[in-house]
Amino acid sequence: MNTIFQYIKRYRLSIIIALMLMFVELAVELTQPLLIRKIIDEGIVVGESHTIWLWGSIMMLLALLAFLAGICNSFFAGYAAQNFAYDLRNALFKKVQSFTMATFLQFPSASLITRLTNDVTQVQQVFFMSLRIMLRAPLVVLGSLIMAFYVDASLAIYLCIGIPVLAVFMYMMVKKSIGNFALVQHKVDRVNRMIQENLQAMRLVKAYLRGLYEVSRFEKVASALKKDTSSALRLMEYIQPILLIVMNIAMLAILWFGAGQIQNGKTNIGDIAAIVNYTMRMTGSFSMFAFIITLFSRAKASATRMEEILLIKDGIEEVVLPTKIEAPYKKGEIVFENVSFKYPQTDRYVLKNISFSCKKGEKIAIMGATGSGKSTLLQLITKFYEVEEGRILVDGVDIKEWNLKNLRQSIGYVPQRSLLFTGTIFDNITWGKTKATKEEVIKATKQAQIYDSIMDFQNGYQTRVGQKGVNLSGGQKQRLSIARAILRKPEFLLFDDSTSALDVKTESALWKALEEEQATMLVVTQKIRTAKGADRIILLEDGVLSAFGTHKELIASSILYKKIAQSQMELGVKGDD
Amino acid sequence: MIKSKLRSYIYEPVLTKEDIQSSKKRKGARASDWRKTLGRIWKIVDEQRALLIIILLMVVISSILSLLGPYLIGKIIDDHMIKKDFTGLKSMILVLIFVYIGLSISIFLQNYWMIGIAQQTVYRMRTGLFAKFQRLPIAFFDKRQHGELMSRMTNDMDNISSTLNSTFIQVFSSVITLVGTLVVMFSMSPLLTFLTMLIIPVMFVSTRWITRRTGKLFKTQQQALGSLNGMIEETISGQRVVKAFSQEQRMIDEFANKSSDLRRVGYWANVYSGAIPKTMNLLNNTSFAIVAGVGGILALKGYVSIGTIVVFSEYARQFTRPLNDLSNQFNNVLSAIAGAERVFTIMDEKEEQDQGKGELIREIRGDVTFEDVSFQYNLEEDIATIEHINFHVKKGQTVALVGATGAGKTTIMQLLARFYDPQQGRILIDDCPIQTISRQNLRSQMAFVLQEPFLFEATIKENIRYGRLQATDDDVVNAAKKANAHNFIMSLPNGYDTVLTADGGEISQGQRQLLSIARALVANPAILLLDEATSSIDTVTELEIQEALERLMEGRTSLVIAHRLNTIRKADLILVMEKGKLIESGEREKLIAKKGVFYQMLQQSTL
Ligand SMILES: Nc1ncnc2c1ncn2[C@@H]1O[C@H](COP(=O)(O)OP(=O)(O)OP(=O)(O)O)[C@@H](O)[C@H]1O
Ligand SMILES: Nc1ncnc2c1ncn2[C@@H]1O[C@H](COP(=O)(O)OP(=O)(O)OP(=O)(O)O)[C@@H](O)[C@H]1O
Ligand SMILES: [Mg+2]
Ligand SMILES: [Mg+2]
Repeated sequence: MNTIFQYIKRYRLSIIIALMLMFVELAVELTQPLLIRKIIDEGIVVGESHTIWLWGSIMMLLALLAFLAGICNSFFAGYAAQNFAYDLRNALFKKVQSFTMATFLQFPSASLITRLTNDVTQVQQVFFMSLRIMLRAPLVVLGSLIMAFYVDASLAIYLCIGIPVLAVFMYMMVKKSIGNFALVQHKVDRVNRMIQENLQAMRLVKAYLRGLYEVSRFEKVASALKKDTSSALRLMEYIQPILLIVMNIAMLAILWFGAGQIQNGKTNIGDIAAIVNYTMRMTGSFSMFAFIITLFSRAKASATRMEEILLIKDGIEEVVLPTKIEAPYKKGEIVFENVSFKYPQTDRYVLKNISFSCKKGEKIAIMGATGSGKSTLLQLITKFYEVEEGRILVDGVDIKEWNLKNLRQSIGYVPQRSLLFTGTIFDNITWGKTKATKEEVIKATKQAQIYDSIMDFQNGYQTRVGQKGVNLSGGQKQRLSIARAILRKPEFLLFDDSTSALDVKTESALWKALEEEQATMLVVTQKIRTAKGADRIILLEDGVLSAFGTHKELIASSILYKKIAQSQMELGVKGDD
Repeated sequence: MIKSKLRSYIYEPVLTKEDIQSSKKRKGARASDWRKTLGRIWKIVDEQRALLIIILLMVVISSILSLLGPYLIGKIIDDHMIKKDFTGLKSMILVLIFVYIGLSISIFLQNYWMIGIAQQTVYRMRTGLFAKFQRLPIAFFDKRQHGELMSRMTNDMDNISSTLNSTFIQVFSSVITLVGTLVVMFSMSPLLTFLTMLIIPVMFVSTRWITRRTGKLFKTQQQALGSLNGMIEETISGQRVVKAFSQEQRMIDEFANKSSDLRRVGYWANVYSGAIPKTMNLLNNTSFAIVAGVGGILALKGYVSIGTIVVFSEYARQFTRPLNDLSNQFNNVLSAIAGAERVFTIMDEKEEQDQGKGELIREIRGDVTFEDVSFQYNLEEDIATIEHINFHVKKGQTVALVGATGAGKTTIMQLLARFYDPQQGRILIDDCPIQTISRQNLRSQMAFVLQEPFLFEATIKENIRYGRLQATDDDVVNAAKKANAHNFIMSLPNGYDTVLTADGGEISQGQRQLLSIARALVANPAILLLDEATSSIDTVTELEIQEALERLMEGRTSLVIAHRLNTIRKADLILVMEKGKLIESGEREKLIAKKGVFYQMLQQSTL
């Protein structure tokens, strides 16, 4: 709770103002019975219409004052609560942005989404409520208790008998229900996840006609949520009746023993009536108590879930490291020295003892069977994952010592699966460099061979792109990703099989156009044709670098390479005759 | 100074004058919108009518018991304490104990059951919405952010659920108390009752004034929350790119922007909805003052007794409390409506239409004909995506679609699977227009390997079995072997029982494609659609899969898209597309002999 509390503290001033305004309201409310009595005793009974008018008007004025205080309270309470939520959301989002890829695997995106919206709302609501009404119930209870003792302590003591029992009971309930509500939020995660997955897989679900199957899967998740929510809420429903019983029995005890005292002449009726009255008031506020406890437990569960995120210390990308160099020398070199790698939390080496180097302006093709580690190799250069064995030097400096931001700024990475965002085509291209001019964009799109396609769209650069680029063809997505990368004029270009959906003609034009970029290129590909156009070729076999050299060298030396070449030549031979 | 400081606590208003004006004008229409939305929620709640009636009964019981308690206590004080006559006190107290136990039990039961009803209602709405998603056309999803849709399923539903939990009981018991007190008050003094009731119209008007604003604000708030959810979902899903381009700071800024929109709406929603109880309090106190003041004057003139005023002022308090509750609940209902409306808008979206709904499931042989088919995704534009496509595939043939990227190859497949319907021309399967075959029927005999493979967060086995739910474990393993996925699956820690993370994030792209192919192989379809199914797979492996695929394609009609031309070397018919048009078609040898576009493509790829 402490971490979350800090976000509350920032709005100390408005919280204090809000609470003070609430006290004004409460004070007016409590004085009203007194005023009524005054009107009756000094006005009506005596027959003074003047007093009636006077105190009547005072009462009205006070009511108006309470009203104004209440309205103002809304502004300050709203201000504090909304700002608290705003800060919390932003802090969470900022934290999430600093996660390493490995941390993302621990927190599924659906769960992060719940935490950033649903959980924040939960806590914010409670905060707002407590600034407005929540404190009222405890105050009423306390006030009534004090008054009861003031009237007759020997009777009021019966009210206290129930308190230790209730305190233990409430403590246990809260403890239990915090766990319950955490479970509920976890189920919300699952519902979120299930929907997200279904939306992502919509075409597949439809193609295989699995709508009903998906619904039945969803029903399981949704009914688990229903069940957990019901039982969490139902547990809270025990509170109010039990509070009522204990309080009412205490009141009956007062009546019973009070009767005895009256017999003895120790107490008078007026006192008993007053204490009974105060007890009833207390009891009335207790239903509010049950409500408060529910909200509080819920908020506490959500707060813990948020803290889980905010308190993560490891698994965070250090963007600003004490770096040796801030400005890169732009040498354009990449060197792998005995790099071995396994993904976090697995024990199989995906890359084994890889060493190679490439020079400025060189174009290196990376080939290898499915799952041989090509994508992994590229992702090590962008430092998505930490290398633990061996080292990678970029421009002669170990990437561990690079400032992360500078490193990534000098790399143009085109992922294997094109990831585009909702927005216009223009937004997507300038996504990595928002300040790019129109000319730069046109140049990049021309180089990426997507210019003509864009011009064919009715709205050109302003064409809307759906989430993940659903309304574009496979090749269009890939070329947009390429345009997005080259627009930044990076020192290194990493293409992860980014031309697989391109036809031969388009692809050749692309490579040709990229020649004028002076970038060092690492190109993952399955096509011998593409490899041929590279200066050298890295051949990976099960994570081991099995060959490194030019096309000619590899054809001569590597059996695997020859096999790959043959698998693609076969057709050509036939096609030509 | 202070003024400017105070101003910093007040955000720029969300609602413009026009908003409020227009909502005034549309008052009638809006009220009927609300009624409709409530009616729809009610319909679901009403499914559990029996339980509802029992709950109402419980509310009545608890209301009676909660009145009985003070009444009996009054009696104890009057009859026993004042008269100092303690015979029978014991039995009175015993009765009271039972009353209070009964009260607790009835309160417990009504809440307990109501939670059940509320959760069941939300459950029904959730699953209903989810089922609706499955029936909506693909085009619906092309335009929407996932996170935004997800928000309707969680955040909007939360509004409904929390309102249902409390409102129903509260409203009912408020009405009971209201009627009860009114009767008692009236019997005491009609004149004072009338005075008390003077505030009702004011209450009405002021509640309306406020809810006219909150209704709109709540809705805007849910929208803002939805759009924020959308942004979070998309950014986190695309985190790899965010990182690669070091755009974290920009994302954080954009998020803060959206987040502050939500803050502003939330603030005003808080302020306005917070005004309701305060206003009610004011009116409360006013009526109190009226009763005391006017009643006092009346008492002076001897119209009413002093005792009446004392008791009456207490009742007047009791009278306004349920009214107060009601107007608060009204506000809650509005927030539920704001959520529900967003859910219902989707429930009202047009579904995929099926003319051939009644048609029996029948075997599809697999003759496919495209007759002058034209189609465009976006009707507002005047560029057709594909135009005048004509071709015919006989049962069992393999057709290859080739052509530049963006030519419309995937589109043709999507039309065949009826993800979209063409605007012009006909698609025939076994000489039946495709619209007359239900989607159910059609897709049950198709297997589709999509250009973008997708894997579920489930075991590998379940992922492959997705192609045919009845497939045995052996079928799954066989399919995996044919797709050349067996080896890599066995190298995973738990083999076929390895649970993949979201969208198979832990395996390579090619491996994902292998699994997609295995999934199609399990399905045993009449028509097979392969859209770049092997584009990320290395060519050596591809050759091996090819054999399995060719065996699978035997006797089945298949459409294959590929850029690597040797993937399709055994095709019976080759269709060459360019910019949405079919520019060449025929057998491979013929096309080579013709030395046209296809020949050029071949030449280039063998360079
Ligand atoms: N869901 C959609 N909504 C709107 N337009 C779309 C949609 N899907 C595709 N398009 C557009 O239709 C055209 C044809 O796309 P299609 O996916 O059929 O191409 P393709 O031939 O499969 O290309 P590729 O080889 O690159 O996958 C493209 O211009 C694309 O932008
Ligand atoms: N996040 C991850 N966690 C654990 N293992 C992984 C992860 N990503 C990939 N792997 C495994 O690492 C190996 C290499 O994967 P990688 O994605 O580098 O292959 P690839 O050479 O790019 O293959 P493809 O050509 O199919 O894209 C594969 O066996 C894969 O299952
Ligand atoms: Mg890869
Ligand atoms: Mg395509």
